Amino acid sequence: MLDETAPTDISIRLTNVSKTFDGASGAAVDNLSLDIERGTIMALLGPSGCGKTTTLRMINRLTEPTAGTIEINGVDVMSQSAQELRRGIGYVIQQVGLFPHRTIASNIATVPTMLGWEKSRIAARVEELTTLVGLDQELLDRYPDELSGGQQQRVGVARALAADPPVLLMDEPFGAVDPIVRKRLQDELLDLQNKVSKTIVLVTHDVDEALRVADRIALMNVGGVIEQLASPDELMRAPANDFVKSFVGQDRGLRRLALNAVSALRYHQGPVVDGGATYDDAEQVIAMEGTDWLGITIDGRFAGWTKVNDVRAAHANGSPLADVERFDPIAQIEPTSTLRAAMELIMSSNSSVAVINDGGSFGGVVTLEDIRRALSSAHIETADGTL
Amino acid sequence: MTPGPLPSALVAQATNPIIEWEWVVEEWDQIWRAIVEHVTLTMMAMALGLIVSAFLAALALRRRWTMTPITATTSLIYTLPSVALFALLAPVFGNLSRWTAVLPLAGYTLLILVTNIVAGFQAVPPSVRDAADGMGMSRARRIWTVDLPLAVPFIVTGVRIATVSTVGMVTVAAIIGQGGLGRLIFSGLRRAFWTPMTVGASLSIILALVIDAMILAIGLWLAPWQRRRKGATP
Amino acid sequence: MIAASASLRPSQTAVPRDIGFFEWFFDADSWAGATGILASLRDTVILCAAVTLVAVAVSVPAAAILAHLRRAEVSSTWLVSISRAVPTFAIAALLVPWSLERGWGFEPWPIFIALLLLALVPIYLNTYTAIRQLPEGPVDAARALGYSERSILTKIEFTLASSLIFSGVRVAAIQVVATEPIRAFLGGDGLGRYVRDGFGQNNNTLVIGGIVLIGGLAALTGLIIAALERLVLPNGVRRLARQQGDTSP
Repeated sequence: MLDETAPTDISIRLTNVSKTFDGASGAAVDNLSLDIERGTIMALLGPSGCGKTTTLRMINRLTEPTAGTIEINGVDVMSQSAQELRRGIGYVIQQVGLFPHRTIASNIATVPTMLGWEKSRIAARVEELTTLVGLDQELLDRYPDELSGGQQQRVGVARALAADPPVLLMDEPFGAVDPIVRKRLQDELLDLQNKVSKTIVLVTHDVDEALRVADRIALMNVGGVIEQLASPDELMRAPANDFVKSFVGQDRGLRRLALNAVSALRYHQGPVVDGGATYDDAEQVIAMEGTDWLGITIDGRFAGWTKVNDVRAAHANGSPLADVERFDPIAQIEPTSTLRAAMELIMSSNSSVAVINDGGSFGGVVTLEDIRRALSSAHIETADGTL
Repeated sequence: MTPGPLPSALVAQATNPIIEWEWVVEEWDQIWRAIVEHVTLTMMAMALGLIVSAFLAALALRRRWTMTPITATTSLIYTLPSVALFALLAPVFGNLSRWTAVLPLAGYTLLILVTNIVAGFQAVPPSVRDAADGMGMSRARRIWTVDLPLAVPFIVTGVRIATVSTVGMVTVAAIIGQGGLGRLIFSGLRRAFWTPMTVGASLSIILALVIDAMILAIGLWLAPWQRRRKGATP
Repeated sequence: MIAASASLRPSQTAVPRDIGFFEWFFDADSWAGATGILASLRDTVILCAAVTLVAVAVSVPAAAILAHLRRAEVSSTWLVSISRAVPTFAIAALLVPWSLERGWGFEPWPIFIALLLLALVPIYLNTYTAIRQLPEGPVDAARALGYSERSILTKIEFTLASSLIFSGVRVAAIQVVATEPIRAFLGGDGLGRYVRDGFGQNNNTLVIGGIVLIGGLAALTGLIIAALERLVLPNGVRRLARQQGDTSP
């Protein structure tokens, strides 16, 4: 099995890897070098024929490289037999390839059985994985053709993770299901990654999938040439050349909205005062912000919006600020919400700001202008000043 | 007990019934021995046929170009007239040897068996093979635990068809004295006594049907995943 | 030539034992007479031709009509298995007493019916499959042009499927010719008599003669029908069949 305690942070390293198939005129992959960090998801993205699948398959030696070396956790993949290597790597493909003649449980148990685990340990692991991938236990005795496409793919993932390999290779794993199921599976993959933290290499031709799921993206061109290696946001923000630009398509700015969180913005207090503030303070804030609405917080919690007219009327009446009629905010978001969600809410609310609900207490507001300014700047700073 | 020409005098005599049950009871030993011999010949032919077919199929799967000549040859063998083939081998192995019959019988099974075995292995979805390889299965292990079970339904179909047609063909082997139930047919024909003929002929048909059903049952037992109806839960 | 015993059927051949095959084959006497090669050949050919023609006359229209109407789908798969399992000999043997009872003698009905059953299936199967698998295009176009259903079947579907139908007929004919020799063992005539009499008299010349004649005829049948196909079918149809990878079953 692969050594998990290797000192470097690089889990998979490809150095000058090339592959030319017999009888082919050009190299499928030409002199590719790539480092993949432990515990991250690397997406190999590109058009068909760019060599992304070939590259993936060289990692577990389903295709043998013509030149170059591949190391996993510091160990050359050629130093052990191909079968031994593969038993330590999870492999998920588009058509899943579940064994039709075996039950789901038996499918999942394939690698542990090969490795000689005791029955009880295998059974426990199968149960554990079934829950992990979100499948019903009663499916275990069924056969693959009785399951839906989404369920089958989940079984495929469970099967790949059975022997708890540190590395997971996925080749267009969600391509064979409809978009709704695909999105759900992508979310579940991210969820899974949070729980088990594997090094994942994912091949896809779907830009949105790569953007949603990957920590880093290697955008490849024909011949296994890496046109750009970057985080999803950086890919959108600063495409390296025309190929990258045309591949990722239009609306880069809008897509970045989904990639960044509200926490990346600078908040400000906005037209909001505490319920116990004086009317003078209130008038000051109203004058500064120039809005028709005033937000009220009570005990650090955002309590609602009041109309400025109502506030002035109350002032005239002599009733306390806290008693002015309040309207619940439509637009409340959390620091972890995406900018896109924030923008969506702002567009549909009356207040033209989104209120930030930071674990129950009022965190501030953001406006469309804040969002725009952040996206167009060279770097997005997080709230604590780091990139 | 090779058949000869028939006494014309007896042709006119058509007075005996299609089947005389007392004879059946009386001669049950003989009938039973004929059945046993019939089944034995069938099994020997099938065993030989399967071994050769497995070998040929493996060859055809490994080197694609051999498929055409193999198909051509086995088809040719299939069309060889059975009477001629049995007659041809009689002087070689002698009338009393089982091999005179078993060799041609096995030869006739080759076409259907090779075709079906090859088809069975080719029907294994490439994605299943890829997944098996990707999980670290050695080639031998994969062929044994994945390819073969999935090819079984095709192979069983081939075995069914081949066995049933072999049962029919064994009756013809009676012309060289190796026929199981075919000998009953001839003995009846010689004496213009219909009972053994009827018994022999009907039993060979019944035997074929029974064996067919048995193989079908074995096939279903070997491949439980085929039994379930396709239908995805949402 | 014929042994004096009244109990022998006149069809038995008596041949001196020390003649080799070629001598026998090229001896004029062997060919002449009621039990000669010519007569036996004639008997076999007539029976086989009759069986094939009847099988075609029955199977082809039935299969063509059912295929055109898109009916009787399930039967095809079932028929494939049946087709290889027809126990011709057993069926013929069972029919002998029945035929004798009716006063029809040993021939021709038992063997005729048994061989007919053998021939029906490949012809039916090929015809049905050929027409059923035709692409929708030409048929729809013909319908749109105003052809009657009957014309569509006879002029278009039939023509397009004719190559496959012919190959089915060829397979059936070869199988019939190859199986026909058992007739001699059931009290009949035909080329099988040489093998039968050869065994009975312990005469290898006859046996070999029978084998050669039977095998030769089977091969010849295939060639004749292939030649017939070339003559009858228009060039375009054969070209089309070749393109589609027409492989006979």
